Amino acid sequence: MELSVVISYFPRLLDGAWVTLQLVILSIVLGAIFALPIALARISSSPFVRVFPFLYIFFFRGTPLLVQIFLVYYGASQFEVVKESVFWPILREPFWCAIIAFTLNTSAYTAEIFRGAIQAIPVGEVEACKVVGMTRFQMYRRVLLPRAFGIVLPAYGNEIILMLKGSALASTITLLDLTGMARTIIARTYTPIEIFMAAGVIYLVISMVVIAIFKQVEKRQNRYLGPIVIKVPEKG
Amino acid sequence: MSKVPALELNDIHKTFGDVEVLKGISLKAYDGDVISILGSSGSGKSTFLRCINMLENPTKGEIIFNGEPLSLKPGETDLVAANMKQLTQMRQQIGFVFQSFNLWPHMTILENVMEGPANVLKRPKNEVKAYAEHLLNKVGIADKKDMYPSQLSGGQQQRVAIARTLAMDPQVILFDEPTSALDPELVGEVLGVMRNLADEGRTMLIVTHEMNFAREVSSEVVFLHQGLVEEKGTPTQVFENPQSERCKGFLSSTF
Ligand SMILES: Nc1ncnc2c1ncn2[C@@H]1O[C@H](COP(=O)(O)OP(=O)(O)O)[C@@H](O)[C@H]1O
Ligand SMILES: [Mg+2]
Repeated sequence: MELSVVISYFPRLLDGAWVTLQLVILSIVLGAIFALPIALARISSSPFVRVFPFLYIFFFRGTPLLVQIFLVYYGASQFEVVKESVFWPILREPFWCAIIAFTLNTSAYTAEIFRGAIQAIPVGEVEACKVVGMTRFQMYRRVLLPRAFGIVLPAYGNEIILMLKGSALASTITLLDLTGMARTIIARTYTPIEIFMAAGVIYLVISMVVIAIFKQVEKRQNRYLGPIVIKVPEKG
Repeated sequence: MSKVPALELNDIHKTFGDVEVLKGISLKAYDGDVISILGSSGSGKSTFLRCINMLENPTKGEIIFNGEPLSLKPGETDLVAANMKQLTQMRQQIGFVFQSFNLWPHMTILENVMEGPANVLKRPKNEVKAYAEHLLNKVGIADKKDMYPSQLSGGQQQRVAIARTLAMDPQVILFDEPTSALDPELVGEVLGVMRNLADEGRTMLIVTHEMNFAREVSSEVVFLHQGLVEEKGTPTQVFENPQSERCKGFLSSTF
């Protein structure tokens, strides 16, 4: 073991970790924003509205994240229309391709988590909204979404951890995220054990911070709620 | 007092699948009426009460609030509100107290009571807060206002639920077996609160199995059997001298 390698390249690994963090945070935030309308459409009473989120979720849960990344990264450049469009400067960048793929992927999972949470809210609480004369919008804003937020936390924290680990796939499209950076360093130093161990430790630390934050928020949010269990989609 | 009923239900029918649970129930409630609805389990009491504010959609019938008919249109299997705005406005003026309280668990007691007037009626927050505190005082829960529903006993939760309903200043309040989910020793405190409301002249429809209570507070008693009104009259008429055999049997089995 050559610890000196780890020490001298540690700043570069931290640069990679910063790219990883950007990837995860951006796609998680964007994913959550997209997930909400997808989840609401998924529980619509109209079968016509329901079919679109169903197919969307079906596709992104049923195909590997790596394939989705490749589809965005290599797929986009196949089309002249894309290359000539205003989006090309974005779609040309591996960073934004990764963000797009991660966002689409996590929004599908997050939508399923939101849907489970909204449907887990006891029907009596919804009826209490109706009898006081709330509109649908008021019902969602005041009761359903805040309640769902509390219910969703454990599963959502889990999704963020999975996204963090999944983000390592960004290195396959030339991005120097934590994993990509580790591979680049190893190509130069031939010390895979030391560098991958160091990268693994950094991933662990980030995971632990995420878990700790969620524990705190959960504690605050669910202080006085009984346990509600929801079914979480398996991540494949 | 004007002679337009506060609430009038005409020929309410309700079918679940192919079972007709309500077979045409009519009822009028004038301001100040306290109408108790009795009947054995499964006779359709809850369904009837829930049809009044469309928690359940009737398959046929007419709902008239203060002389204004609720506009209904045929849905897939039953009647649905034709005008959501009219329905929400009617619901704002008709309170509903559930058997299982249904407080919002993520809000404190005070927030539960303030929610309707503050965010649905959009009344000024400070007025709403003062009124909510007054109501919590009235139902005897003032000291618990910053707690959460799960920290209260069933009887306390139900009293909060009543305060939450009163906070909307409803013209009519519907109660669906408000004491049936409570331990026996907690029933009295809720009935006490309801008795006070009756004394204030509130208009109430109460589904209950508390016969003594119904007898003392009601202006009218309705006995339902298999989705029909089997007997109705003043408490004296119904309790002392019921005409129908079924009502007689029901009363003798419950006293
Ligand atoms: N959502 C529903 N779906 C199917 N049947 C129902 C539903 N709600 C009530 N029922 C049936 O309607 C009948 C009347 O129920 P309910 O109004 O709850 O009676 P009560 O309140 O008098 O005990 C019962 O036979 C019950 O099983
Ligand atoms: Mg009932």
